[in-house]
Amino acid sequence: MKRKTGLITSILIVIILLLGLVNLFVGSSSVSVGKMAEILLHHNTQDTVGVIIWEIRLPRLIEAAVLGGALALSGYLLQSFFRNPIAGPFVLGISSGAKLFVAILMVISYKLLFSLHSMMLVVAAFMGSCIAASLVVLVAQKVKNMSVLIICGVMIGYVCSAATELIVAFAEDSNIVNLHNWSMGSFGAASWSNVKIIIPVVLFAFVWAILLSKGISVYQFGENYASSVGVNIKTFRLVLILVSSLLSATVTAYAGPISFVGIAVPHVIRSILKTGNVKTMIAATFLGGMAACLFCDLVARCMFAPTELSISTITAIFGAPIVIMMLLQKKSSD
Amino acid sequence: MTDMNLKELSVGYNRKVILDKIALEIKKGKIVVLIGPNGAGKSTLLKTVAGLLDPIAGEILIGNEALEKLSLTEKAKKIASMMTARTTTEYITVAEVVAGGRYPYTGFLGKLSEEDKKEIENALHTVGAYAYQNDDFNTLSDGQKQRVLLARAIAQKPEFMVLDEPTSFLDIGYKLTFIQVLKELSERQNIGILMSLHELEMAQRVADVVVCISKDGKIDRVGTPEQIFHVSYLERLFEVTPGLLHNVYHFKTTKNLSAQIGVRLQNKRSHFLMVQGTMSSVGKSLVVAGLCRIFKQDGYKVAPFKSQNMALNSFVTEEGLEMGRAQVMQAEAAGIKPNVFMNPILLKPTSDSGSQVIVNGQVRGNMSAKEYFAYKTKLVGDILAAVDILQDQAEIIVIEGAGSPAEINLKANDIVNMGMANMVDAPVLLVGDIDRGGVFAQLLGTIELLDQAEANRVKGLIVNKFRGDKTILDPGLEMLEDRSGVPVVGVLPFMHLKLEDEDSLSEKFDRKQNAPIQLGVIKLPHIANFTDFDVFEQIDEIAVHYICSTKEIGDMDLIILPGSKNTISDMIWLKETGIESAIKKFSAENKPVIGICGGYQMLGEKISDPEQVENGGEIAGMGLLPLETVLTIQKHRTQVKGIFTHPTGILHSLLEKEYEGYEIHMGETKPLEETLSEFTANGSGYCKENIYGSYVHGLFDNGEVLKTIVTGIAAEKSIDLNLDRVVDYKQLKEQEYDKWADTMRQYLDMELIYNIIGVDR
Repeated sequence: MKRKTGLITSILIVIILLLGLVNLFVGSSSVSVGKMAEILLHHNTQDTVGVIIWEIRLPRLIEAAVLGGALALSGYLLQSFFRNPIAGPFVLGISSGAKLFVAILMVISYKLLFSLHSMMLVVAAFMGSCIAASLVVLVAQKVKNMSVLIICGVMIGYVCSAATELIVAFAEDSNIVNLHNWSMGSFGAASWSNVKIIIPVVLFAFVWAILLSKGISVYQFGENYASSVGVNIKTFRLVLILVSSLLSATVTAYAGPISFVGIAVPHVIRSILKTGNVKTMIAATFLGGMAACLFCDLVARCMFAPTELSISTITAIFGAPIVIMMLLQKKSSD
Repeated sequence: MTDMNLKELSVGYNRKVILDKIALEIKKGKIVVLIGPNGAGKSTLLKTVAGLLDPIAGEILIGNEALEKLSLTEKAKKIASMMTARTTTEYITVAEVVAGGRYPYTGFLGKLSEEDKKEIENALHTVGAYAYQNDDFNTLSDGQKQRVLLARAIAQKPEFMVLDEPTSFLDIGYKLTFIQVLKELSERQNIGILMSLHELEMAQRVADVVVCISKDGKIDRVGTPEQIFHVSYLERLFEVTPGLLHNVYHFKTTKNLSAQIGVRLQNKRSHFLMVQGTMSSVGKSLVVAGLCRIFKQDGYKVAPFKSQNMALNSFVTEEGLEMGRAQVMQAEAAGIKPNVFMNPILLKPTSDSGSQVIVNGQVRGNMSAKEYFAYKTKLVGDILAAVDILQDQAEIIVIEGAGSPAEINLKANDIVNMGMANMVDAPVLLVGDIDRGGVFAQLLGTIELLDQAEANRVKGLIVNKFRGDKTILDPGLEMLEDRSGVPVVGVLPFMHLKLEDEDSLSEKFDRKQNAPIQLGVIKLPHIANFTDFDVFEQIDEIAVHYICSTKEIGDMDLIILPGSKNTISDMIWLKETGIESAIKKFSAENKPVIGICGGYQMLGEKISDPEQVENGGEIAGMGLLPLETVLTIQKHRTQVKGIFTHPTGILHSLLEKEYEGYEIHMGETKPLEETLSEFTANGSGYCKENIYGSYVHGLFDNGEVLKTIVTGIAAEKSIDLNLDRVVDYKQLKEQEYDKWADTMRQYLDMELIYNIIGVDR
């Protein structure tokens, strides 16, 4: 078993590196291998190609990888917690909260006639995610029943969406397009300044997830059981939701809402590795998410170049069949 | 020993109390099983003890620590729980599942140390799951999964385990092995186990203590399986129609007692018949006795029963337990040995408003009337347990009621009349006393005051103590039947029977003046066991007087000091009324004085009560015998047989004659002089000249002893007595029973009665 896990993890890492390379090379401008090596080794930002590589493609692929991992991990945490295979950041309404705040920001900026800095978008999305997450957390404190919690999350999601629609009704067409574009998700706005923030935050959350691994491993037997072996249920729940919300809020803030990665990747990884070991799963899921997003971003950029598809489209095309297959499998084994 | 204690624990959800004020002890190494109907609150209690639910009130203590004060990890190291939850997991091995139990012991990242691994291995071995430790947990059968979950709980190395119906969905094979593992685990690793079970046979097998939780959220009974597993009780606990459980399960009742009584276990339910009266002293006891004799004569195994008796006259059975005398008499009529289960609750009044409560022979304490009224509902279980034991001994059980079933202010919580009839689904015969007048009002009025269901139980009416011409009565009986809808089963004549009476209300206080020998029994205020002297009544030449003033003492030929419920009080009374001096004077004239039990104690120099058995203190006795008594809490109850060893004075001819009786006293008496003559064997009584004292009750029952005493006294007075007619008291009673049974047969419609109880003749 252990050997198998090691093998697969190594394969994953190799895949990630390969995808990373491919992402570097593929794009609107083509670069030869030799040129690439030179640019990378000497940190050449003198000519356009160098700038493209360093300022656009490299940060983008790093962001895609890290955020992809974050999404997948967030999904895994929520799924373990809810013991529900279709749990994900969407379910809890976190992404909808982000979208709502972005919508509000866009409308306000138009009305008050100031231009939108990308940073503002990020802050707004983050705020929205956090507020939605805190609502969920509040409910989680008071409610012992799992299904009720999920329903609350879904409701919050609906409320936010409704509010968003309301705002859209009063917005200018151009704004609506902006919002729509944003809400489809894209890694296009990647930059080193973003990456500088993203990496520490995600790392922080990752470390916390590892610390939670012991609790998660007993939690999957039921809350009652976890409680009886000494897990402080209320604290555990809170921390878990916060970590997972932090992860998905980060993604939503910097790349907009991205669907299906959170739901599908953990399942794919689990069925490949065939293990329930939490620490293994956390690490492997993160790697899987990295690989998945790198791949999807590649497809989004290059499939219909120069038109860039939104990433949610791609993740949905690949992710949805996986989710359906997985649901079918579950049904047959029940 | 740090055992677990539940103190005044109230449990429930959202402040709604489901179980109130639970007090329970869970000892290490022992298994406590909760049984009871669905919804009673067992799971709620278990969840609370496991720490998954907060208690509403009260606390859970381990040793002296309150559970809620412990940190979660400490709690997890003390208590492991297995609740009902079937979880599905993915890709987790059995070993990993069991490893989860080590959670409280591992560090931050949950890495397993060598010790952890060892514990996991041990746990797997204990449940027999070592072989498949690397299999995917999900692929196991339910039985195997339960075993693994148990291993997980074991790996937690707890001091206590809480399990909620751990075997409910397992097949019989797994059920048994699981329970077996649990029992061994508890014993070997000294773990206290609290669990609920639906399978009663399993509970009977594995429990050290059984706790029954009834539908109304209370602990109904707590006891060992032998005490609890009686069919009638279980029927009531689970609200099953009486008789149904009997057919489905055959529970063995008290093995020990059955062996003692030497009776085969029966599997069929007995026939019940209840005799209730319109008021006290209508003759219920004798009617029951007569019916017992009739059924015995007709070849049936019969037993009498009365759920609660209030009497000063108690009897000590062979096992050393106390029961009421009326049932002893009825048992004699039925031809079986009296046993305490015929009279599960005995109340012996100690004052106008308080009594000593004795349940199935064991003293439970003293209670005021009010306390007892509230307490008695808890005794239903004990009553049913007693009924169950009797069902093993008899095909027909005749139950005696108490007082009237229509005391409308006392009907709630009734356990003696209709309440009792309901418990065992017995038909009722209602007896009225025509001698005191108003029998129609008695019978009809009683029926009217009963509610419909109760009135439907009354299947026959009996008119008792009739004197005169029955033909005058007949039209009245017809109207009675019409108006009540209940047939009159018979009209019984007034009979003088020489059988023991229940309590002080009796005609025995009539005097027979002009009899040659006057026997005076001092009527102490707290007189007890005075049926000892009934035996003298059968001799026409003796007049038995019950004396409560000094005047009559001088005329007596023999003074008897009887037993007393409160020796020191009565001693004070003797002093205050001057009877003490009168008796001393009597004795100084060399006239015989006999003291039995309390009376015997009073003959001594001193009675002291250091253990506060009565009210403490000490008092000087009459000083007629040089001995001292110390009252002790330890009650002596034994049946005794012996011979008179060194009788002195008038009764010297008792030497080496046999007696048979019983001792029942709370005190020890020691002679102050070594040369004091022993009267009854083994230091149970001493004598000096014409003063005799003994602890033995029933001393005079033996025909020979009786004759000797009476002859002795007569000789002193130079009277010649013809004592040929004196018969052994036992023989006399047999004659009386047969006489009574024959009379009853003559006047009762026995066919109808057999019909009523459902016996085919």
